[in-house]
Amino acid sequence: MINPKLFKRNIEVIMKINQSSIINKSATALFIGLLGFSTSCTDDFKKMNTNPTAIIELTNNEYPAVFSRALAAGSYHPSFQTAQNLFADLYAQYYATTTGNFQSDRFFMHMGWAAGSHWNPIYTGVVPQLMTVMDNFDANTPENALANIWWAFSFSRLTDYYGPVPYFDAGIPARGVKYDSQEAIYDDFFKRVTAAVAVLEQHKSAKPFATGDIIYKGDVNKWIKFANTFRLRCALRISKADPARAKAEAEAAVKAGILEIGADNAMMVRTAINSGDGNGISRIAGWGEFRMSATMESILKGYNDPRMVEFFQPAFNTGTYEGLRNGLNPAQLALPLNLNDNNSNVGARWIRNTGAGSGWENLYAVPASIMHTSEAYFLRAEGALNGWDMNGEAKDLYEQGIRLSMEQWGFTGDAVEKYIQGTTPPVAPGDAMNSAPVTTIPVKWGASEAIQREQIGTQKWLALFPDGFEAWAEYRRSRFPKLYPVVNSVNEDVPAGQVLRRFPFLDAEKNTNKPAVDAAVSLLNGEDKASTPLWWDKN
Amino acid sequence: MNLIGSARFGGKLLMLLVLCLFTFSAVVAQDIAIKGKVTDGGGMGIPGVNVLVKGTTKGTTTDIEGTYEVSASSNATLVFSFIGYETREVSVGGKSVVDVTLSDNVTALNEVVVTAMGIERSAKSLTYSTQKIDGKQLTDVRDANFVNTLSGKVAGLVVTQGSSGPGSATRVVLRGNRSIGGSNNALFVVDGVPIDNSVGSQVGSDFGGRNRSDGAANINPDDIESMNVLKGAAASALYGSRAANGVIMITTKKGKAGKVSADINSGVVVETPFLLPSFQNTYGQGAGGKSETNSASSWGAPATTFPNNIRDFYRDAVSTNNSIGVSTGSEKTQTYLSYTHNGNQGIIPNNTLQRHTMNLRINSQVTKRLSVDGKITYVNQDINNKPYSGENSGPIMNLLKLPRSVDLNQYKDYQDENGNPTYWASSSIYMNPHWTLNKTFSSERRDRSTILGSAKYDITDWLNVQGRISYDTYVDEYRNGWSDKTLLYAARGGNYEHFIGKRLERNLDLIISGNNKISEDFSVTYNVGAGQTYQRYGETGGIATGLSVTNKFDLNFATNLTRVATFNEKEVQYVFGTASVSFRDYLTVDASVRNDWSSTLPAPHSYLYSAFGANFILSDAVQLPQWISFAKVRGSWAQVGNDTSPYQLDQSYTYAPGGLIGYVSRGVTRVADNLKPEISSSTEFGVDFRILNNRLGLDVTYYNSNTVNQLLSLSLATASGFSSQFINAGKINNEGVEIVLSGSPVRNDNISWETALNFARNVNTIIELHPDIEKAYISGGIGRTAGPVVSKGGSYGDMYGYTWLRDAQGRYVVGANGAPLVGPEGKIGNFNPKFTLGWNNTVNYKNFVLSVLVDGRVGGTMTSGTEANLAYDGTADYTTEHRDGGWVLDAVTAEGQQNNVAINAETFWQTVSQGRYSWGEFFTYSTTNFRLRELSVGYNIPVPESFFFKNMRLSLTARNLFFLYRGYAKMDIPGMSTKRKLSFDPDMSLGAGNYQGVDYGNLPSTRTVGLNLKLGF
Repeated sequence: MINPKLFKRNIEVIMKINQSSIINKSATALFIGLLGFSTSCTDDFKKMNTNPTAIIELTNNEYPAVFSRALAAGSYHPSFQTAQNLFADLYAQYYATTTGNFQSDRFFMHMGWAAGSHWNPIYTGVVPQLMTVMDNFDANTPENALANIWWAFSFSRLTDYYGPVPYFDAGIPARGVKYDSQEAIYDDFFKRVTAAVAVLEQHKSAKPFATGDIIYKGDVNKWIKFANTFRLRCALRISKADPARAKAEAEAAVKAGILEIGADNAMMVRTAINSGDGNGISRIAGWGEFRMSATMESILKGYNDPRMVEFFQPAFNTGTYEGLRNGLNPAQLALPLNLNDNNSNVGARWIRNTGAGSGWENLYAVPASIMHTSEAYFLRAEGALNGWDMNGEAKDLYEQGIRLSMEQWGFTGDAVEKYIQGTTPPVAPGDAMNSAPVTTIPVKWGASEAIQREQIGTQKWLALFPDGFEAWAEYRRSRFPKLYPVVNSVNEDVPAGQVLRRFPFLDAEKNTNKPAVDAAVSLLNGEDKASTPLWWDKN
Repeated sequence: MNLIGSARFGGKLLMLLVLCLFTFSAVVAQDIAIKGKVTDGGGMGIPGVNVLVKGTTKGTTTDIEGTYEVSASSNATLVFSFIGYETREVSVGGKSVVDVTLSDNVTALNEVVVTAMGIERSAKSLTYSTQKIDGKQLTDVRDANFVNTLSGKVAGLVVTQGSSGPGSATRVVLRGNRSIGGSNNALFVVDGVPIDNSVGSQVGSDFGGRNRSDGAANINPDDIESMNVLKGAAASALYGSRAANGVIMITTKKGKAGKVSADINSGVVVETPFLLPSFQNTYGQGAGGKSETNSASSWGAPATTFPNNIRDFYRDAVSTNNSIGVSTGSEKTQTYLSYTHNGNQGIIPNNTLQRHTMNLRINSQVTKRLSVDGKITYVNQDINNKPYSGENSGPIMNLLKLPRSVDLNQYKDYQDENGNPTYWASSSIYMNPHWTLNKTFSSERRDRSTILGSAKYDITDWLNVQGRISYDTYVDEYRNGWSDKTLLYAARGGNYEHFIGKRLERNLDLIISGNNKISEDFSVTYNVGAGQTYQRYGETGGIATGLSVTNKFDLNFATNLTRVATFNEKEVQYVFGTASVSFRDYLTVDASVRNDWSSTLPAPHSYLYSAFGANFILSDAVQLPQWISFAKVRGSWAQVGNDTSPYQLDQSYTYAPGGLIGYVSRGVTRVADNLKPEISSSTEFGVDFRILNNRLGLDVTYYNSNTVNQLLSLSLATASGFSSQFINAGKINNEGVEIVLSGSPVRNDNISWETALNFARNVNTIIELHPDIEKAYISGGIGRTAGPVVSKGGSYGDMYGYTWLRDAQGRYVVGANGAPLVGPEGKIGNFNPKFTLGWNNTVNYKNFVLSVLVDGRVGGTMTSGTEANLAYDGTADYTTEHRDGGWVLDAVTAEGQQNNVAINAETFWQTVSQGRYSWGEFFTYSTTNFRLRELSVGYNIPVPESFFFKNMRLSLTARNLFFLYRGYAKMDIPGMSTKRKLSFDPDMSLGAGNYQGVDYGNLPSTRTVGLNLKLGF
């Protein structure tokens, strides 16, 4: 289209113009002058491009707040609902969904929720913060030890959802991060926590991160007990997958000192500066999207459990304690007995009803449960039944666990002793599905080991409340307490009546880390489905 | 007085004076006196029109009102000509009054257009495509955000408005989307200087929210003289990075030398919802075919319904605009002063916008060689109760959740005697919309000043230097309150937010411009310049979660206070040069080069890019047949560099309150290892062809642009400790064609018809993303409905959502209960139209002017979370089919057996909708639509000679009058006889950012009918 000859001639003309004196000289001079002016003015660009609202270099003053962030992120705030409440808490049947929209109660695996609220907070909320601590405090410091304990604790909540997860290479900047088997991860939990405890034993009077430790305020002795109890918990978890290792770890943990008294309870305290912080249950309980499960109702009412009035509050319409079944479909949820106001919300320590079913006062500052001392006794009771040296008899440990749980919720003395001797079984909850009692065992220590195991599992389930993560994991391992089957399932892999075993690998990971996810499938005991059991799940 | 000096500044004045001399010298001949008025298509007088008696040297020019007087023989022919208008020849035929209407001519050959940096050039010599819009085209049919009225008028321009009522930001995309992480909005330049068009925070997910206002909406259409759209990189390269998405150049009005004149414009419009969903009116509140009075859905028994309960909630919104522009001036100094008031109502009952705009412009010829130009614009804008849209508890979703048998009037009392909200059901997030109206509020106030000063000095006749400085600064104040007991948002006592944001943009530049005639054949024009752009934004404020005194909306009463402070600044310095050489006025070759230094890039901060172009006017170079009036071919190649947003170079830690001492966390975006500037390059070819004495014109442009090294944050495997990394990656290609066909089918003394058809097709391909990343979500995920995704080999705007499970043979799969099973997340559509069309018509008949704009888009989809809710609730019209069951879906079971289980509509819709989190494929609609976009009928009221007003014009205007066609749901559900029709306006988007393609509680777009009166004196 362009005549080359003409083009050439024009170029020549331009060249001529350029040679022609005045324009050329003045323009070139100006151009160069402006260029010089500009470049010399870029000196302050570095300063200008430094964000005044962020911290570029950390000092010792900031590390406690870095650790604080790791602690808070490990318990999934403010994404508590889509990390825990809509999955583990429902699968442990502490609550049931009252909103038809939330299909996770019908085993719909919402990948986006799990990725954003459960997976990412570990890798971007916990991991970078703990690595920052580990990079700046050497391996022999109590700060480093605390970081390692919290690392293991946080990852246990992650691996127990999915099985294999990126672990050993976590936090190393790379395009893809490989997955590790759950067996290898648990092996590292034991090693890591044992090593951390050894360091802490050398610094028993230190106060690491006292200002930022929102669990124990830097109390090294309590962290030692916490770490050993976590080790005991892990030992029970793998007790069917690797019985010898489990026994050794459990016995060592008990010897090293575990949670003993109520003051040892690991509770995370926040000052609730805003609603995005604070207790997760308090944050979401006013939304009216879940209520007490029929399972809870059957057991609490059957045992005449004093804790019921602390765990839950009366239904707004009836003034009584009511629950509903898990896995109801929208039509069933529209039935009067299943409506929010006809069922029990969580207790008034988290949220107070100020009227009309929709007026709620959120009590964000209530401490959040990380680990209860009572759990340590139930773990020991089960270990004792396994024939391990748990420094006590199964029955005594079982009953002491109940006492510690009751004490935690404000009940002591005769009422508790009467409960321990209780012989009444769970009742029919009188729900819309006309359900039978969920099981038949009473509280009073049973005669057979089978009953005793169910009793330990059931009481531990009650004592763990509201820690649905641990309750769901232990249900999958032990199948206790006995739970109702979900009424409906929309998941073709896990029909109603079957047990949801795990969360499949996330879509987000398949988009960003596909080779590693593909390789991880071989680390599973089957296909990448919700019906495939985890390594420690031998049911 | 130096006549020559001032006339150089105002060329029209010189012409007027010279021609007056001609007129006086010609009075000797014995002819009759002929008077008349020359008006434009809109009936306004045109000053300075050359009136020549054909075959003689006699002539005159029109005065400021467009009237003229000339003497000529009674059988003479008068030739009327003026830049920018068609030349017309009219025979006198013995008449003593000859009134003439000159048509605006988009194809005018001698048109001068304003190009990048404010450089004026002859349209004929351009090597790239531009499209001009006259100011008058923007002031008849109005919108609170004038940018919305560009729809259908420019080939290749797609406008989408945010769903927050009057003042909501608008997205303007030219020639397709090219940026994944950054803005795709065109740059707005007023009088040569970019203005801030930050859109503020926009709704970026279907959870929803409230969009902030943009900067462009503050431009007052009454002050616009003309607008020129620079679509491609070649046209806009001189503006550098910000212009990579094209430029909308606006030239505002100036005072005119001569006597005082004033224009008054006064208009009133009524807006009503244009398109609402279609509801069923048979079944009432309840579930499973049984009535339940506290049910949230309408799956009950047949009942008395309230067909208009949704429509009646919206109001007929009345908006007014009143403006006056006064022009005055001597030969040396001219002043233009205007004031405009816009009072807009939204269709949500308490939603209002008030805007006052003051504009003062003074230009002065200080000495023979020095001229100065100054402008101050002040805008005061006050927007109340912009509605929330999206899933969350805004007025729109709250309204749409209304069961069919509930009379909303019963819920006008939004609280009971205890102050508790009244509601027809139990819900965790939805409330009575009357509560939302009365017990929540938002206020957005803006004070904005734009100041421009420039001085130009003529060093010689052919060389001048111009310096400019502009400040654009504004303060936005946001206040939002939620009364105690408002679901989701209010802690005890209520919630309150208060933010103040301050924005500043400063532009400085210095340009030396020259032009020389090198020889008889060659002429050259050139510019060299340097400049600096500085931008700063800071916002501070607080969020009160809980108030110690109930509903006392002030931060002093906060029980929990979160402070918010953000800040960023950046500076770009640049030098540029451009030269254009013309051979005999028919061959022009252009070249330009620019170097930028940006504070956001690592040292040396620098990047260089250039553009080349050529055009050849065939009709001037060779003798073409008589019927070809004009023929030109053009081609260009250009690069535009782009920097990034501030603070992308350092890995930093942020602080957030909470816990005991607050939280410190490392940023989750990993910084780029070696950040490079983004480069967009484009090639463009075009032809401009006019025949039959310019009665028919065709302008075709082909372009192909590639954006590489995009600066964007792409998702990483979060196991790396980072959720994303800032990288240079990707190659996005946009290829397309724009065609403008214009013509004057009828043109005689009584009637003229001007018509223009524009067509644009853009094909976007993501050629590369990143070796390790197959796809990335623009908004983090697929949300509740669907989400835009970029993936290699895909196209920008691809929408992903959950699908209906298909087996290996592509058959739909159902569960054992006969209801669909969910399939994997997959591609379900694309939010961009395949092509757009606009057809503009203007008919002048005597004193009447009729203009009609029909526009449309073909292709593209949106996924509707709104429809998913209506289906779930059983309120949508199509949910009446199969209510009683017997619906056996033509599908197979997971085992491959033909399905034989019957379900009913309730099971089907609740399964596929799931209410708030739906399976997007089922609710994806084709957004193909054609509509009567604008219609106006103007009447120029004849005024007597001596009347105070020199011209008066009354127009009846309408916008979005009706759809000629709208599309359907993409999925045909087996066994359903009803086709689900597009039930929302795709012009309306949740926000004006890159998150597009989802309707979820979007505010309905509006039909506007109004009256407009223009007076001039």
